[in-house]
Amino acid sequence: MNRVNPIHIAILLIVLLLFVMLKLNTAREELTDAKESYSQTLVLAQKIKGLKSTYFNKTKVLKSINMLLRNATVRSAGISKKVTNSSILLTSKSMNIRSLNFLMGKILNGTYVVSELQIKRLSDKTASLRLEIKW
Amino acid sequence: MFSKFKRQFDTVFVDVNSADFELDESVNVILSPALYWVKKVTLPVKSLREVKPLLESLFEDILPEGRYSYTAYKEGDEYFIFAYEDKYILDVLAQKGIPFAKINKVYFAQSELASLEDAKKLNEEEIILVQDGVVILLPAKFSKTDEKLDLKDIDLSKHTIALKQFGHIVNEKSLYTIVALFFVMVLLVSSEYIITLNKIDKLQTQREVLFSKYKLKPTMIQNRSLLKRYERTYEAQIKLRKLMATVLSMHLKDGVRLKFVGYKNKKFKLQYMGMKKGQERYIESFFKNKGFTYSAQFKKDIWYVEFKI
Repeated sequence: MNRVNPIHIAILLIVLLLFVMLKLNTAREELTDAKESYSQTLVLAQKIKGLKSTYFNKTKVLKSINMLLRNATVRSAGISKKVTNSSILLTSKSMNIRSLNFLMGKILNGTYVVSELQIKRLSDKTASLRLEIKW
Repeated sequence: MFSKFKRQFDTVFVDVNSADFELDESVNVILSPALYWVKKVTLPVKSLREVKPLLESLFEDILPEGRYSYTAYKEGDEYFIFAYEDKYILDVLAQKGIPFAKINKVYFAQSELASLEDAKKLNEEEIILVQDGVVILLPAKFSKTDEKLDLKDIDLSKHTIALKQFGHIVNEKSLYTIVALFFVMVLLVSSEYIITLNKIDKLQTQREVLFSKYKLKPTMIQNRSLLKRYERTYEAQIKLRKLMATVLSMHLKDGVRLKFVGYKNKKFKLQYMGMKKGQERYIESFFKNKGFTYSAQFKKDIWYVEFKI
């Protein structure tokens, strides 16, 4: 019987359908993974960007510290500044309480990474300061 | 250069009373008139195509109940129309030792033996002959012939039929509908598969864009490690500020002074002066109320406190 039997075509199509369904199922799983991977990467990227721009931004830190040091209240404290690739070190052998309060108020309320801090009382109205901020 | 090879098949005549066959190769089968219904009719139509839709109704009154297939061919001005049961014929062929796989082509005795001039003997009980242009079977007693039917030199016509193996389960029209349905399903599922692959590709591209847009490190391990470092630093800074706020908001007793405040390597240190041993308790209770853990010691009227961040 030379004629192509429609049953054979149907069986071929069923096998083909099963194969394509299997491939589709795998592709769906891959799609779910890809979606999950994309959202995870997005969340991670946003967190890194948020923290980096807030706490680890060299330009922003230098700019705001320089502004602080130019403030009249702090300028009189004789604070010396040393900038390296990864940090800025502020030191004062003796500064008055008013300047210290102002400076520390701004530092602690700002988004700076304080890596080292030393405040030593010299008298009731003066103290020495060593403050290192990293980025 | 090349000659077309045409395979020759033996031809067998099959009747319900035929002896069993033993076959090594496929055969052409001529069906006995006992295996089909035939009518010679004159119809007011021009082509065979117009006849085919009428076949079922032309046999309507004479056929016993069953699932029939129909066919026809034209000879002169007349049409020979046929009705046959695929399953019945296939069952008979199988019983006679001719399975479906061994069947090459199937013919009706009507189309192949219409030119018989005399009656031919099929077996002890039956003869075959042509009467009024129709090939029929008769009991052997109607003829005294001893000449047997010889198919050796028969020249087969083009009037063949294709027996449907599953025709009794589902008719051909339904079968084609099912095949079409499967085909559509394959198309739909394939389309969805391609769309899904495109979506995956798009997401992967978008993810790569994220890496360049947010200037991420090449691997996710590096990025997770970076984020962990940032988060640890952030948490330490929050804790440092909380400690400083607590220390600076505390009211010290008369004569007690904060001598030193220091922070390095995740250690927060305080030194209180002007304090006698035992006086530190109210500060300790303050720290404990805030939930801080610390270590402390007295050295020469100075109370040293250390917090781990």
